[in-house]
Amino acid sequence: MDTFLLSLTVLLAGGLFALLTYRLFSLMKAGYIAITAVGCLIGLYAIATPLQGGEIVTFSVSWLHIFTLSFSLDPLSAFFLIPIFAVCPLAVVYSFSYMDHPEQQGRVGVSFFFCTLLIISMALVATADNIISFVLVWECMSLSSFLLVLFEYQKISARKAGYIYFIFTQAGALFIFAAMAMAYSHTGTFDFSSFSTIPANFKVIIFFLALVGFGSKAGIFPLHIWLPYAHPAAPSNISAVMSGVMIKMGIYGIIRLYALLDVTELIFGEVVLSLGIISGILGVVYALGKHDLKKLLAYHSVENIGIILIGAGIGMIGISSNNMVMASFGFAGSLLHVLNHSIFKSLLFLGAGAVLQKTGIRHIDQLGGLMKRMPTTGKTFLTGSISISGLPPFNGFVSEFLIYYGAFHGITLNGSSFIFVMLAILSLAIIGGLAAACFTKVVGVVFLGEPRTEKAANGSEVGIAMTAPMILLAASCLLIGLFPAPFVDLAFMGLASVKALAPVGAEEIAVVTANLALAARLFLALFLICVLLRKVLYLRKQISRGPTWGCGFTQPTVRMQYTGTSYAMSIVDFFRPFVLIRTRYSGINRIFPGRTTYESRVDDIAEVALVDRIVTPLLYLIGKFRWIQHGYIQLYIGYIVVTIIALLLFF
Amino acid sequence: METFISLAIAILAAPLFPGIILKVKAFFAGKQGPPLFIKYYTVAKLFRKGSVYSNSTSFVFTLGPVVGFASAFIVLLFFPFAGATPLFSFHGDVIVLFYLMGLGRFFTVIAALDTASPFEGMGAAREVFFSTLAEITIFTVLLLFCRMNGSLSFAEYFIGENPISFMSDTGALLFLVVFAMFMVLLTENSRVPVDDPATHLELTMIHEVMILDHSGPDLALIELGSFYKLFFYSAFITHLIYPFSTADGIGNWFMFYGLLAVVYAVVGVTESMMARFKMDLVPKFVLTSFALVFFAAILTMGVFQ
Repeated sequence: MDTFLLSLTVLLAGGLFALLTYRLFSLMKAGYIAITAVGCLIGLYAIATPLQGGEIVTFSVSWLHIFTLSFSLDPLSAFFLIPIFAVCPLAVVYSFSYMDHPEQQGRVGVSFFFCTLLIISMALVATADNIISFVLVWECMSLSSFLLVLFEYQKISARKAGYIYFIFTQAGALFIFAAMAMAYSHTGTFDFSSFSTIPANFKVIIFFLALVGFGSKAGIFPLHIWLPYAHPAAPSNISAVMSGVMIKMGIYGIIRLYALLDVTELIFGEVVLSLGIISGILGVVYALGKHDLKKLLAYHSVENIGIILIGAGIGMIGISSNNMVMASFGFAGSLLHVLNHSIFKSLLFLGAGAVLQKTGIRHIDQLGGLMKRMPTTGKTFLTGSISISGLPPFNGFVSEFLIYYGAFHGITLNGSSFIFVMLAILSLAIIGGLAAACFTKVVGVVFLGEPRTEKAANGSEVGIAMTAPMILLAASCLLIGLFPAPFVDLAFMGLASVKALAPVGAEEIAVVTANLALAARLFLALFLICVLLRKVLYLRKQISRGPTWGCGFTQPTVRMQYTGTSYAMSIVDFFRPFVLIRTRYSGINRIFPGRTTYESRVDDIAEVALVDRIVTPLLYLIGKFRWIQHGYIQLYIGYIVVTIIALLLFF
Repeated sequence: METFISLAIAILAAPLFPGIILKVKAFFAGKQGPPLFIKYYTVAKLFRKGSVYSNSTSFVFTLGPVVGFASAFIVLLFFPFAGATPLFSFHGDVIVLFYLMGLGRFFTVIAALDTASPFEGMGAAREVFFSTLAEITIFTVLLLFCRMNGSLSFAEYFIGENPISFMSDTGALLFLVVFAMFMVLLTENSRVPVDDPATHLELTMIHEVMILDHSGPDLALIELGSFYKLFFYSAFITHLIYPFSTADGIGNWFMFYGLLAVVYAVVGVTESMMARFKMDLVPKFVLTSFALVFFAAILTMGVFQ
C-alpha cells in the first residue's frame, strides 16, 4: 500500500505543479507529463504484488473524527488499476501537443490539475473499502470529470453537454447512495465486508438500485444519453480517459457489489445479461447512424460496455447454475474486455483528436483521404478499428473469445438459462458484424478515398507527442492478440476477489490461450507468406496508375463518393422502430426546380423518450408552481417562518 | 500423411468446382459452356499480368486481396476434408475461423472504399449488411451443434467421437441446417439469388463491384480466395449430408468429392432457375435461413429435457 500511496502522492504533486507553474507553459507541460508518468509507473509497480495473489493490503485513516476512510488493494482492484495507470499517462503525453494553447495557459493548467484529480479519484474508487470512502471518492471522480468536460465552457454546446453529464452522474450517484444507505440500515456498519449478511430480498433491491447508478456511469442503454454529449465536448485526451477508463468504474462497481453481496440467484445474471445485449446492439446501431466522429465513438463505448456486461452476465448465470467454467470464462472475458477496450477506445479517441486538430472537422462525411496525409494516425486508427471490431489477431477478439467460450459452456443448460445464453451468443455475433460494418465506414470514409473538403485535403500528420501514444496503444493491441497468455492470466487473477467463483483449472486456461495464440500467429504467418507471394508475383511486372474506373462515367467528382450516411442507412433502417430516422426532403415540384435539399438524422429513442415522457411533463408540472417564485424577499422569509412553525407544531 | 494429401487435394481442386456451376448453367441455357478447367486458366492468366492502380488508393487497397486470401485459406487448414484429420484443430476453432473470415471481409470492404468509387461503396455497404445477417445464422448453427454433441470445432463436428449426422438422435434437425447453410452459402459467396456475379450492371452487384479496380495477381488472389471460401461452405454442407469416419479409407474421398460436385451442381441449378432478388428482399431471404436454424435450436430444448 505504501508504494500505491506514494504513486498517488506523486500524481498529486504533478497536478499541483501544473496549477502553480502554468505561466511557464512549456515547462509546466513537460514537468506535469514527466511527474504523472513517474507516478503512474510507481502505481503499476504497486499493483504487481496483489495481482499475483499476494496478501491484500489495506490502509485506513480517520476523517472528521467520526468516519474511517479505508482502502484495500485486492486482485479485483488491482486489475482495474491497470487501465488507470497504463492508459492515463499516454493520454497525458498526448496532451503535450494536443493542449498546446499558450494563449489559454491558465485554463490548460487547471485542466491538467483536474485530470490528475480524476486519475487519483479513479484509483481510489477502485480501492475504496467502505461506504464512506467509496461515495466520497466516487463524487470526486464525477465532479473532476464534470469540470474537465467544461474545458471549452464559453461554448453553449459544451455547457449543455456538461449539464447533461452532471445531471446523469449526480442522479446516478443518488441511486448509489440510496443503495449504500439501505445496506447500512441492515448492517449498521460502513464496512463492505458485512454486505453478505444482508437479507436476501434486500440484496436484490440494493443491487438493482446500485445498478442504475453504476449503469449511468458506465453508459448502459438507456442511461447512456450523456456519453454522446460529453465525449465530443471534452478535449480528446480527456475523452480518451473518460471513455477508456472512467466509465469502467461503473463496471467495477457492478462486479464489486456482486462479489460483496455474495448472491447466486439467477435474476442478477439475467438482468445484467439483458442490459448488456440491449446496450451492445443498440449502441452499435446508433454508432452506425451517427456521423460525428467522436459521437460515434461514444456510442461504441455503449456497445463495448454491452459486451462487458454480456460477459459478466454469462459469469453470473454460470455461478447461479454452478457451471464454474462458464462463470470463470465469462467474468474473465468481461474483465479482459475492460482492459482491451481501454486500450483501443483511447487509441481511437486520440486518433479522432488528431484528425480534429489538423482538419477542424468532426463530421465524417466532410473528411476523406487522410491515410495519405496522416499515415501514422491512419494506420494506428485502422489497428484500433480492427481491434474494436473484435477481429483476430488483435486484442478485442481475445476477450470476446473468452466470453464465447464461457457462453458455449453454458449451452447445455436448460430452460430460461439456455435462452439467455443463446441470445448472448447471437447478440455477440450481431454486435461483431455491426461493429465491423461501422468501422469499415469510419476508416473508409475518413481515411480512405479522396478528401471531400478543402480542409480535409490540407490535413497533415501530427507531432510525435501525439503519434507516440497512439503507436504504443496500437502495438499493445497486436501484442495482446498475439501473446494473450499473460493478459488472460491477469484477468483470471483479478477474479480471485469473487468468492462465489471456484477457480477453474489452470490447464484449461493455458490450453485455451495457447490455441488462441496459435491461431493468431498462424494467421499472421500466413498473411506474411501471402505478402511475400504477392511481392514475387509482382516481380518485373508492369505497374501503372490511373483514375478509378468510373463505370463509363467520365467526369467523376469527390462528392460522388459513398458517404457514411448512405453507407450505413440500410443497416440502420433495418433496426426500426428501435431507432428514429427523420428525413426532410424539399421535393422537386416545379418544371424548373429550384435548389433541393435532403436531410436525414438518426435520433436516439432513449433521448427522445426522456425528453418527451419525463422532462417535458415535469417542466409543465413545475411551471404550474411558478407563481411561488415571485421575487419578493419578505414573502420568501415568510415561507421560511411558516415552514418552521408548521414543523414545530407537528414534530 | 493423409492430412497433407487431403489438404493438397483440397487446395488444388477448389478452382475446378466452380467450373461445374458454369457447365450446369450452360446446360440449362442450351449452350456448350466454357471448359471445366476455365478457372485455372483465368488464375494463371491473371498471375502473368501486371496491374493498374487507381490514384486514389493507398496501401490498404493492396492489403485487401492478401488478407482476404489468407483468411479464406486458413480455414482449409482446420477443415477435415473427406474425414481426414485436419492440420490444426482445437476446441473453439470455428469461432476463430468465422471471425478470421470477417477480417477478410473487413479488408475487402475497406479496399473497395479506398478507390473513392461510388459503385464500390455501394457494394461494400451491401456486403457488410448481408454478411452480418448471415453471421447470425452461422452462429445459431454453431450453438445448435454445440448443443447436439458439445463440440466447437470442425474436426469434432465431423470426425469426432460423436459426429453430427442424420443417424444421431437429433439428425432430423439437420435438414433445417442443410437448407439454411445452403442459403448462407449463396449469400456469403455472392451467388444468385443474392448477388449476380455475371451481370454487367455495376449497380446491381455486391461482391463483384467491390473488386472492380483490382487487376492482375491481386485479382487472382481474390478469385482464389473466393474459390476456397465456396469450397469450404460446400464441403461443410457435404459433410452434413454424409458423415465420414476415418476408418473407411479411400472410398470416402470419392464419395466426398462426388457429393461435393452435387452441391456445386445444385448451386448451378439454383442460379439457372432463379432470378436475383430485389435488394430489399435479400435481408428477408437471409433471415429465413436464421429462422430455420433458430427453430431447430429451440427444438433441442424439448429433446434434452
